Amino acid sequence: MGSSFQPFTTFREQFGFVPKLFRAQTLLPRVIEAEGELISAILFTDKALTRAQKECILLVLATARGSAYCFSLHYQMLRLLGITEQRLDHIVADYQKANLAPATRAVLRFTLKLVASDLSISRDDVREASSEGLTDESLLEAILTAALSGLLCMLSTGVGAVPDFALHSIPPPEHFLTIPSDESPATDEKSGFNQSAPELNAGDFAPFAFFREQFSSVPKIFLAQTRRPDILEAEAHAIRSLLVAGDHLSRTQKERLLLAGEHSKADLGASDGALLNFTKRLSVDAKEFSISDIQALRERGFTEYQILEAVATTALACFFNVLQVGLGSTPDFGARWTCKPAELKTGAKKAHLSASDQRHTDIIRPVDPDGECVARVQRGDLDAFEELMNRHSQRVYRTLVGILGNQDDARDAMQDTFLKVFQHLARFEGRSKFSTWLVSITTNTGIQRLRERRPMESLDETGFDEEGFRPRQVQAWTDDPEQLYSEAEMRSLIESGLMKLPAKYRVVVMLRDIEQLSAEDAAVVLGLGIPALKARLLRGRLMLREALAPRFTSSGRKGSMKGAII
Amino acid sequence: MISCADFMAEIGNYLEGEVAEDVRFQLEHHLSHCQTCTVLVDSTRKTLKIVTNAGSFDLPEATFRPIAERIMTRIRSEGK
Repeated sequence: MGSSFQPFTTFREQFGFVPKLFRAQTLLPRVIEAEGELISAILFTDKALTRAQKECILLVLATARGSAYCFSLHYQMLRLLGITEQRLDHIVADYQKANLAPATRAVLRFTLKLVASDLSISRDDVREASSEGLTDESLLEAILTAALSGLLCMLSTGVGAVPDFALHSIPPPEHFLTIPSDESPATDEKSGFNQSAPELNAGDFAPFAFFREQFSSVPKIFLAQTRRPDILEAEAHAIRSLLVAGDHLSRTQKERLLLAGEHSKADLGASDGALLNFTKRLSVDAKEFSISDIQALRERGFTEYQILEAVATTALACFFNVLQVGLGSTPDFGARWTCKPAELKTGAKKAHLSASDQRHTDIIRPVDPDGECVARVQRGDLDAFEELMNRHSQRVYRTLVGILGNQDDARDAMQDTFLKVFQHLARFEGRSKFSTWLVSITTNTGIQRLRERRPMESLDETGFDEEGFRPRQVQAWTDDPEQLYSEAEMRSLIESGLMKLPAKYRVVVMLRDIEQLSAEDAAVVLGLGIPALKARLLRGRLMLREALAPRFTSSGRKGSMKGAII
Repeated sequence: MISCADFMAEIGNYLEGEVAEDVRFQLEHHLSHCQTCTVLVDSTRKTLKIVTNAGSFDLPEATFRPIAERIMTRIRSEGK
C-alpha cells in the first residue's frame, strides 16, 4: 500500500502511525477507506466532545470489552494527548474515583451502560446524563463513539491484530461490573433523539437518497442522526463500500451476516452455514474467537478476501447495533443481538436473541400453498410427500438442468435431491415458502454434482466478463418469431440454445424466465446479491438471443431446420 | 448524447422498466436514431417471450414416474 493512500496519510497525521489493525486489511483498500471516513467523522473531528474525551470513552470501553489491542491503541493516544500514565491507570482502574470532570464522568457512565444494555437505554438514563450537563449533541457523539468502539474492537479481534504497543496488560473487565442504577429499561420510553433531531432537506441530501435506494425508505437509525450530516455521509459510504460494492461475498451473504440468526441453518448450504457460525463467534463469543475460526472458513474454500469482508461486515453490524440501542430507535434492520462481552453483564446471562426475535416471528406470512401438505409429511404421512414430489418435479428437474446442463444428469440427480428434501423436511420451519426452500436444496445438490463431475465449471466464479459483452447478431428479427416453427421445434431450439450457455448464466435464466421465480427468491437460492443476479440474467438473455438470432431473422427460416441453402 | 456502450450499460434496467424518467428519455432518444440498439432491444424482448412461452425442458410423466417410485420405495423402506 503506497504512502499516498489517503486513509493511511490521515492515520499518520492523527495517530502518528498506521495502526496494525488497518495494515491487516490492505487486501480491501475500499474497506479501509470506509473505516477511515467513519473514524475521521466521529473521532478526529472535535464537536461537542473533545478528542481526549472520545479517546477516554474508547479506552474504557476497550477495557470493558477486554480488547487488548484497542486498549493499547487508545492508552497510547491519550498519552500522546498529554495525559500521564498514572492518571490513565486511575481511569481504567475506577473512572468514578479518577477525579474526572463531571461531564466526562457522565459520558463514561452513559456509554458503559449503553454497551452493557440488552435492549435500550431508557429515557431516565438520558435525563440523568442531561442533568450532568450533557447536551443532545454530546450524547449523540458519545453513542457514536461507543458504536465506533464496537467496530474497532471487533475488527481487531477478527483480523487478529497484535497490539501496536507493548504496554502493561489490560486490567480485567470486572472493574466495570458495578454499573450504577439497574432499573429495567422502559421499552416504550426510548432515548428520544428521534423527536428532537432537526429536519434535513431530504431531497437534497445524497446519503438519504442512497438509503432510500437501498432500503426503500430512510431507516430510523439514520433519521435520528440528522445533527451530523458528515457522519451520515460516512455511514452511507461504509454501507456502500461493504454491502453494495463488495464483490467477494455476495450481497445476500453479507445481508445474512447483518441479520444473522434470521435464517435457519437448514435453509443454507454448508459453506453459508459456516459463514454464519463465524460471524456469531466473532460477535457473541469474541473471547473464544481464534485463528481456528478463520481456518474453518478457509477449509470451506473461502478466500482471504471473503474472510476479511466477513469480518468487516460483522464489525459494521456491531457498529449499527450499538447505535440502534443508543439512539433508542426501533429496529429497522432487525438487529439480532447486541454485541457486548458476556462478562459485562451484571445479572444472569440472557439469551442474545430475545425481544426483536419475538417481533419477527409475529410477522404474518403469506399462506404457503404447500404448507398443509408439508405439515402432513411432518406428521409422518408419506403419501403427502409423493404429492409434493408430483407438484414440484418440473421445478426440480429444470433447476437441475439449469445447473448441470445435461438432461440425463438432471434426471439422475433428482433422486438424490428429493431424498435430501425428505431428510431435511422435519426441520423445515416455514420461514420461507416450501417451493423456495426446495429450490435451495436442489441448487445445492446440483452444484455439488457439478463440482464432482466437472470441477472446472463453476457457478461461483465472478469475473470481469460480467461486463463488456458485445452482441454480434444485429440483424432485425421477424415480427412474430413464434410463427416460424412448430412448438416442438421451438422447444428444441431454446433447449439447445440454453445448453450452450455457461452454467452460471443458464441457471439464472432457467430460474427466472422458465421457472418464473422472483428475483429475490432466485438471489437467495443462488446465494447472490440482487445486482449480481440481474447482471447474470441480462448476460444469459443476451447470450441466448445471440444463439437464437440466426433462426429468427427475416431470412432465418430458409436456412434453418432443413439445412443451409448454400 | 449517449453512446451505444452507454445504452448497453443500461439495457438490462431498461428492459425491466427500472430506469428513471430522465434516463429513459435519453435511452429512447438514442433508440430513435440507432438501428443496432433498436434491433437489440426488440430481439431481446422477443427472446424473453419465446423462452417464457416455449415450456422447455418438460419432464415427461412417463420419465418421472419410475424415478418417483424409486424414491418412495427408498423412503418407505427407511421408515420401517
